[in-house]
Amino acid sequence: MKRERMSMNLIMVLAMAAVAICVLACALVIFVRTYRSALIRNAETTSRQAIAQVSSTMEEYLDDMNGSVALLSEYLELPVQQRQTRFETFLEIRPDVVAVTTYDEAGQMKNCYSLGRRLRGHILQNLSLDAARLDLYADGYISAPHVMSIFEESYPWVVTLIEPVSTNEGERWVAVDIGCSNISGYINGVGIGQRGYCFLEDMDGNLVYHPQQQLIYSDLKQENTALTASLSDGSHVEGNTIYTVQTLSSGSWRVVGVSSVQELITDGLQEVLRISILSALFILAATLLLSVLLSRLLSQPIQNLVSAMRSFEKNADDFSYEPVSGVREVQNLSVSFEHMVRKIQKLMAKVRSEEVNLRKTELKALQAQINPHFLYNTLDSICWMCEQGRNTEAVSMVNALARLFRISISRGHELIPIRSEVQHAQSYLQIQSVRYKERFSYEFDVEERCLDYFCNKITLQPIIENAIYHGVNGLVDEGRIIIRVLEREDDIFFIVEDNGVGMAPEQVAEIFRRKPDGRSGIGIRNVNDRLRIWFGEKYGITIVSVPDEGTRVTVRMPKVREEIGYEKH
Amino acid sequence: MKSIEAAPRKPADRPDGKDPLKRAAAAAWRCLKRCAPLLLALALLALTGCAAARKGGPYSIYLISKSTSTEFWKSVFAGANAAKSEYNVDLTILGPETEEDYEEQNAYIRQAVAAGADAIVFSAISYTGNAQAIDEAVAAGVRVVIIDCDVDSDGVSVRIGTDNVAAGRMTGAAAVDTAADEIVVGIVNCFVETRNCQERESGLREALSGNARVKDIYVVNVPTDAQKAKLAAEQLIREHPEINVLVGFNEPLAVGVAEAVDELGLSGQVRAISFDTNMRCIELMQTDAVGALIVQNPYAMGYLGVEKAWQVLQGKKFDAHELIDTATQIVTKENMFTMESQKALFSFS
Repeated sequence: MKRERMSMNLIMVLAMAAVAICVLACALVIFVRTYRSALIRNAETTSRQAIAQVSSTMEEYLDDMNGSVALLSEYLELPVQQRQTRFETFLEIRPDVVAVTTYDEAGQMKNCYSLGRRLRGHILQNLSLDAARLDLYADGYISAPHVMSIFEESYPWVVTLIEPVSTNEGERWVAVDIGCSNISGYINGVGIGQRGYCFLEDMDGNLVYHPQQQLIYSDLKQENTALTASLSDGSHVEGNTIYTVQTLSSGSWRVVGVSSVQELITDGLQEVLRISILSALFILAATLLLSVLLSRLLSQPIQNLVSAMRSFEKNADDFSYEPVSGVREVQNLSVSFEHMVRKIQKLMAKVRSEEVNLRKTELKALQAQINPHFLYNTLDSICWMCEQGRNTEAVSMVNALARLFRISISRGHELIPIRSEVQHAQSYLQIQSVRYKERFSYEFDVEERCLDYFCNKITLQPIIENAIYHGVNGLVDEGRIIIRVLEREDDIFFIVEDNGVGMAPEQVAEIFRRKPDGRSGIGIRNVNDRLRIWFGEKYGITIVSVPDEGTRVTVRMPKVREEIGYEKH
Repeated sequence: MKSIEAAPRKPADRPDGKDPLKRAAAAAWRCLKRCAPLLLALALLALTGCAAARKGGPYSIYLISKSTSTEFWKSVFAGANAAKSEYNVDLTILGPETEEDYEEQNAYIRQAVAAGADAIVFSAISYTGNAQAIDEAVAAGVRVVIIDCDVDSDGVSVRIGTDNVAAGRMTGAAAVDTAADEIVVGIVNCFVETRNCQERESGLREALSGNARVKDIYVVNVPTDAQKAKLAAEQLIREHPEINVLVGFNEPLAVGVAEAVDELGLSGQVRAISFDTNMRCIELMQTDAVGALIVQNPYAMGYLGVEKAWQVLQGKKFDAHELIDTATQIVTKENMFTMESQKALFSFS
């Protein structure tokens, strides 16, 4: 079985929905991508700005610290006894400086200045200055972050600035230890986005200050310092993280900003995505509605047209066309269809009337024909009567023949009174009974009331002819033909019964098929056709026949009062 | 939604005669209806997408410690506070002055429950003595996260801390890490109800058992107090002068042991092995009184305690029998100033 095709309507709705969805999806994807990259660019810019800010403060801080070291170098030119108060004052105003320590040429500690801390008697290891690496410090040095290990019960995390000096006391190095946690003020408050942060590392990736340094030292957080140390200055997107790096102009430290792309997307994109999806849904709904409306507008009239065509197909005769409204194309279609319907109906009527005329002409020709065998036989009978001197009989025969022809002609009328038809039949039977002497007898049973109605001429004769030739003629005994004319309700019935050899159903069917030939005159089929053409399908001939018992032929026709327009056709 | 299609559509309605337009429209409607839940879900998702934040204010989390005075616990508090600001919770820290008063801890537990705590981060002074109070808290719907020291309760959600038996074994390894042919170990331990010290001791005994150099192990139990530990250690050494390794199993005990060695002038002869990173112990390690420090990670305990409590309240499931191990390491005089040891020993802030 063939699957039912989708209707135009559905196709349109689906197509429009599909297009809408595709376009919306594409737009959404493009929008999200663009927005995302814009967000990232924006974040990079913000990050760079924040980092630049931090860098400049850190640079200022370091410059300041260098200035302080220069100042301290000046203090160092004073003798040891006079330094104390200067250093104490300095340390008081610079709480970020944990200690100032001086060393001699060999890196042995000479003096140490620090507030509130006690120098250890035995220093296990000095992390601030490594006596074995003095050559490293010649041009000034900033150490990696470390713990101060020279005080009792105080181990602050510091970075150490080392500068060469030269004093009368034999001091060659000054080391300034700066507390890492004191840098927090420059770093902690700096936010990049909602959860971004920045930190300070040295060029080897050691953390100088990180807002979560303790967490990192406790292995609770990781910072990929190996990665950040390898990055050049600028913004880098690594995975889901944006790193912004700026190296300080002194070249010792770098500021690293960290912000999360994920965060940008979850916080920034989600809102936008929400709005986009909502509006996309609205657009989709609108498109669906619109497409339903549109397809209604287009396909409703077409559907109407289709059903009009279907009903025209079923019953072309009684079809009356109602114009379909709709868009212009459909209206054009409708008008064309209307024209076509009119034309077809006209053509059909024409064909039908032509067919009727043709049949009538044919009939006329047949009627006009005198069966030569019949005429010859009849004349032969008359001749024979005359020879034998049976003049009365001969006269009666001639009269019957004359009446037969007169009624046959009937001045060209098709419908004649039943009275005349019955006379015609009687004349025919009179002639035939002479020819088939002793072979059959006949009888008329005619209701008087019927006689004034009209019927097609030469209706009975072909039936009687059939009854003789194919019925009683084949009998050994004398046959009998009964002709009845009667009325039932609105109809007139001619019934011709014989007790002849009868016919099988195939023979009956053959009778209705047979074309008239020279021998059989008009023929039963023609009579039937004529009745139908004149009066419609419900009228005509029915034959009931039982082999070896007889045949009954019934003619049914309406009551016709007078000859209705033969000329009309 | 309007019920446009109240009447069920039978397939028999399909053949011609029915208006195909209506069929198409109905098909479109069906399509729409079928997609509707999806679209609705999408819309809802979009609407509620970022509003996933939980209802109500921040969680109220109580941290009930064993003590408030030692550096160990101060470090725990620092870690907890770091997590507090990171996870935006209300953190209340309660704890007795000394590590002996489990009744006071129970009072704090009840106080926290009464105050409507969502979770308690707890370290038990007594394995059994605190059990009932914890069970009550759990029954009241409070989630319990154990740090450092366990309690005998099935209601605990998460356990975080040092693997104490392993730390004990580490202590054993430090004890035998000496040139001496004969080793006699003196242990200053707290009373039996404190779980972690007992586990450490059993770990130590396990590590030392079968070592032919270990001749004897002497134990003395004292309250968790530096002064009392010092006196007990001095007593122990006087009674057993052959002792050359002295172990203190938590911070106050370790300080007491180290000071006993220092004050008896036995630095270099008797090696104290100390738990945790008390300043005194660090000082005394540089003067050889302390041979090794077993460094726990209290900052991580505090931080993870609050973090896991928050995660539990967020609905995350943990296996309470699976200890979340905060790393432990041995620091000796030789390696105390490596970067790793600096990070472990010295608090940054």
